[in-house]
Amino acid sequence: MLSKIFGFLYHKIFVNIVISRSKIDVYIQLCDSKDVVDEVHEDFNTLTLNQEMYDFIKLYVDESPYYYISFLDTSVSQGAVPTCSYNDMSIFYDVSSSKYMCYEDKWAYYTSELDLNSLQKIYKKIGIDFVFSPFLILTKFFKEKIENNLAMFLLIDDRAVSLMIFDNSELLYADYIDIENKKDFDGISTNDEELDLEEDLDLEEDIDFNEDIDLDNLEAIEEMGSFDDLGDIEDLDSFEEIEEFSDVKEIEKKIDVKEQEKNLIENEGKLNENYQRFLFVQSSVSSFYKDNKYKSKFIESVYIADGVNVSSDLKRYLEEEMFLSVYIRHIDLAVEVCEIAKVELNEV
Amino acid sequence: MKYSYIKPRKKTILFAEFQLLLIFFSITISMLFLTYTFLLFKDYKFEQDRVNISEQRADINISISKMTQQISFIEKENFFAERIYTKNTVLKESIANLFDLVPQRIILSEAKLLESGLILYGITPSKDIYNFMLQAPLRSIFHTTYNSFYPLQNGWFRFVSTNYINEDNKELYRED
Repeated sequence: MLSKIFGFLYHKIFVNIVISRSKIDVYIQLCDSKDVVDEVHEDFNTLTLNQEMYDFIKLYVDESPYYYISFLDTSVSQGAVPTCSYNDMSIFYDVSSSKYMCYEDKWAYYTSELDLNSLQKIYKKIGIDFVFSPFLILTKFFKEKIENNLAMFLLIDDRAVSLMIFDNSELLYADYIDIENKKDFDGISTNDEELDLEEDLDLEEDIDFNEDIDLDNLEAIEEMGSFDDLGDIEDLDSFEEIEEFSDVKEIEKKIDVKEQEKNLIENEGKLNENYQRFLFVQSSVSSFYKDNKYKSKFIESVYIADGVNVSSDLKRYLEEEMFLSVYIRHIDLAVEVCEIAKVELNEV
Repeated sequence: MKYSYIKPRKKTILFAEFQLLLIFFSITISMLFLTYTFLLFKDYKFEQDRVNISEQRADINISISKMTQQISFIEKENFFAERIYTKNTVLKESIANLFDLVPQRIILSEAKLLESGLILYGITPSKDIYNFMLQAPLRSIFHTTYNSFYPLQNGWFRFVSTNYINEDNKELYRED
C-alpha cells in the first residue's frame, strides 16, 4: 500500500541494455504514471560493465527507487520450440539445463540457466530485473503479421539472427543463430580479405538444399500463380529501401569503374556479413524443411526486423536465391525491450 | 502473462532519502524524548528539594522557637543571677557594714540573717554601750528592733537583738 502511494511520487526508470558484438547499447526511459518524461540513448565501447557505464546508469537509477534493469538475452543456447508441454520439449533441446517460458500456451522460448546465472553474476553491481528473449521481441514486433500469415520472421541484431516460422500464430520452427560462434564452428573466416564474393556464390551452388528450395519454389509459383500478394506493404520500410536501392543503381551506372571497385572494397565487409547471415538463414531453413520434428510448410515471405541497418544485399540474396518476398522493418531493440519491460511490470 | 526469465527485484522506498529522513526523525524524536525525560527528572528533583527545604525550614522554625524559649529562660536566669548577685553584694556590704557597726567593746557570738530581719547574739559590757553604740545604727536600718538582756556573772550582759524590716518596705525593695 505504502509502496503504491510512493510509486506515484517517484518516476519509473527503465534501463534497457542490449549487448552487441563490440558495444553495449543502453537506453534509459523515465516515465511517470502516464507519460514518458525523458529518454536517453548511449553506446559504450565495452563488452562488460565498466566504470563509465556504471556511472551513467547510476546517475539515473539514483533518482528513484523504482528502477528496472532489463537485458536482451544473448545466450547461445537459447531458442524457441513449438510446444508448451514439458515432456515434448525434451525432443527439441536439453530441458534439464534450461529455463523456459510459455507464450500464450502455444509455444515456448528457452535459454540456458547457466548463461542466465552468469549474466546475473556479471551485472551483479547494478542488478537485473528482467531478461527477455529476442524471440519474444520478434513476436511482439510482428504481432499482426504473425496472426494472419505463414511466413518466416527474422530478428537481425549485431551478433545474431533470431529466426521464427509462424503459420497463423502457430510456431512451426525457431532457431537462434549466433553469428560469431557459427562462423568459427562452420569454419567461415571473418577476415574480409579472404572472402571473395564469386567464391561464395560458387559455394552456394554446392549446397544441395538449394535445389530443393528451387523445386519447392517452382511448385509454389505454379500453385499460387504469382508473388504479387504482398499484404500490408504500406506500413513496412521495405518500399523505401527498394527506392533507395534503385537510386543507388542509377548512380552506380554513372560512376567510374574505379569508384565502383572502391565502393565494393568498402562495402565488402558489410556485404560478407550479410551474405553470411543469408547462408545461416538458408541453412536453418533447410533444417526446417528436412527435420521431421517440425511441421514443414512452404515459406513464401520473410519479415525482417532489422536492428543493425542491413544493406539491401541481404534482401536481394533472399529474394534471388530463396525466392522469398522480403519485407524489412527497422527495429530499435533497446526501445522494444523497454516496451516489454513496461508490459511485464504491469503484469507483476 | 510473464515474459521475463527472471523476476524483478522487490522495490522499496527505504532508499537513500527516505532512510535519511527516517534517521533525521529518529534522532529528533529521541532528542525530544531525552529532553522531556531530562525535564521530568529535573522537575522531580526540584520537587524533592522543595520538600526537603520545607522540612528543613519547619525544623529550623521549631529549633528557633526552642532557642527563643531557651534565650528567654537564660535571660530570666541571667536576671535572677544578677538579682542574686546584687542581693548578695548588698548582703555582703550589709554584713560588712554590720560588722563595721559593731563596736570593739561588744562581742558578737552569733548572727542570723533572715529574709527580712537580723538576729544578733552577743555579750556587751553594759546596756548603755549597747544602746548607744549598736542599737542606734540598727534602728536606722531596721524598722522594728527588739532587745533582750541577760546578766552574766562577770557583770556583762548577754543580749539578743531581733530586727525586722517592714513587709511593705520589703515589697518595695523586691519591685526595685
